[in-house]
Amino acid sequence: MIRAFLTGIRVHLVQLVRSPFDLVAMLIWPIIYASIAYYLIGTGSNTRVLFTASLGAAMMMLWSQVIVGSGFALDMQRNQGTLELLVAAPVPLVAVIAPIMIASAAFGIYGLLVTLAWGRFAFGIPVAIDHPVAFAMAAAAAILAVGLLGLIAASLFVLTRAAAYVGVALQYPVYLASGLIIPLAILPAWLGPISWVLAPTWGYRGLTHAASGTGAWREIGMCLLLSVIYLVVALPCLAWFERLARERATLRLS
Amino acid sequence: MPAIEFEGVSRTFRSRPGMFRRRTVEVQALTDASLSVEPGELFGLLGPNGAGKTTSIKILTTLLLPSSGRVRVLGHDPAGEPSKVRPLIGYVFGGDRGLYDRLSARDNLSYFADVYRVPIRDKSRRIEELLDVVGLRGREKERVETFSRGMKQRLHIARGLLHDPPVLFLDEPTIGLDPVGARELRETVSALRDAGKTILLTTHYMYEADELCGRVAVITGGRIVAEGTPASLKAGIADRTVIEIESDKVDEAVVARLREITGVTSVVVEEREESQLLLVQSSLGAQLVQPLIGLLEGVTVTAVAAREPTLEDAYVALVGAA
Repeated sequence: MIRAFLTGIRVHLVQLVRSPFDLVAMLIWPIIYASIAYYLIGTGSNTRVLFTASLGAAMMMLWSQVIVGSGFALDMQRNQGTLELLVAAPVPLVAVIAPIMIASAAFGIYGLLVTLAWGRFAFGIPVAIDHPVAFAMAAAAAILAVGLLGLIAASLFVLTRAAAYVGVALQYPVYLASGLIIPLAILPAWLGPISWVLAPTWGYRGLTHAASGTGAWREIGMCLLLSVIYLVVALPCLAWFERLARERATLRLS
Repeated sequence: MPAIEFEGVSRTFRSRPGMFRRRTVEVQALTDASLSVEPGELFGLLGPNGAGKTTSIKILTTLLLPSSGRVRVLGHDPAGEPSKVRPLIGYVFGGDRGLYDRLSARDNLSYFADVYRVPIRDKSRRIEELLDVVGLRGREKERVETFSRGMKQRLHIARGLLHDPPVLFLDEPTIGLDPVGARELRETVSALRDAGKTILLTTHYMYEADELCGRVAVITGGRIVAEGTPASLKAGIADRTVIEIESDKVDEAVVARLREITGVTSVVVEEREESQLLLVQSSLGAQLVQPLIGLLEGVTVTAVAAREPTLEDAYVALVGAA
């Protein structure tokens, strides 16, 4: 199972890297997100604030890549007939679906780098990371947690033939509830508890704290804790939706 | 114990099209279908498009739940015990889908070997063996997107055999292949049968079933209408003669009149590039030729021949009568 999981991540990453569409999309999205963040925060703000905003843009892009990218990836698997073969495989479904999510999230590293590079060269925002090791660990923890949050959604993607559309619909609510567009402090208080169970919230905080050198270990720990919780929730969801998909005949496009 | 058991299986598909005032639409894909395949047997499931062949295969390969009936593969229930059935079966479908096009043939096999739990110590050897079996040696490092349809189909077979399953489900594996590719694939399937695999093959190429299968079942409209050896199905219409009439365009009204001739049991029209072939089945033998030609007044007839019925004729008779 672990072998299938690890090979699956490599296979799906190779698929993404060899897709001209995905490579170009991943070049354009971060530029748009970073530009929005830059102009939203204000061109006169100090560079630390702007850099923090660009990290928020990177986290938005990471979530988009997971939820939309994996929705498209599942639809593509359904369309090319490989989803049926993966479901019919002897390994548990999580071992073939989770790699799609993790690969999509890992592909987000490319987006993170594009975001930071765009901020640096287009807007002159310096890449100021005080704790590079903590930053790398926060990024890895964020990728894991966001990928596994996507796994819960993926259980629904196994059932529906409109996975990509569901993914698109799930983008903005999480942007908002995680404080990636507008600071949580100025949003309704009831959004607070929702933000705590969303990995992008802690992933974003982990990156910003590591960058500013204020310590990101609590945020990294939260990402890991949420990863375990997401996995525990996703496993029965996957089993349930797989059964429903077998009942409703939605594993194939036609 | 049979390797594959299918007893009284029905499957209904339900959908609710539209946005408003949605109503449930039901399609009965299988109705009380039963068949049994013994270990080591190559069994053919024949039927036209939409007859229920793929639905049957999907139920057997754990991908679809039956609405009712009893299904067993090597004694296990694909609906309730998918984790026990999946390691024992290989599933290969026709066409060029089911592969990762941006990966090489070897990378595809390597991934599916991991997903199908091929022991790591056997993995490389198994992949090398199968590349030889399906004739893709030397092309294994190329991306699948550069492969011809035949090459993809052979790669499919290799993928389905990676974990050396005792039971194979081949769903129209030669569809879309050129004659040489199809023949090579039939040779591969024949070798698998000789190696002792239990194979359920769906096809609508009758010569393929006649050449490969020990027994066949004919399915149409979700119902199995006949089962037996190809010879026994042919024997069912042994008293008939098939008269082939090659002509230019014959309109539907004339075909309808041909069907009304006493002794004619079926008339099938096959479109050719610049002509039509009328296949007339009759229990009256060659004496029917004159009345048939008489009704084709004004039609240019280029050839007439009478012959013994084939499995395809038996199939046409069974599907036509259902």
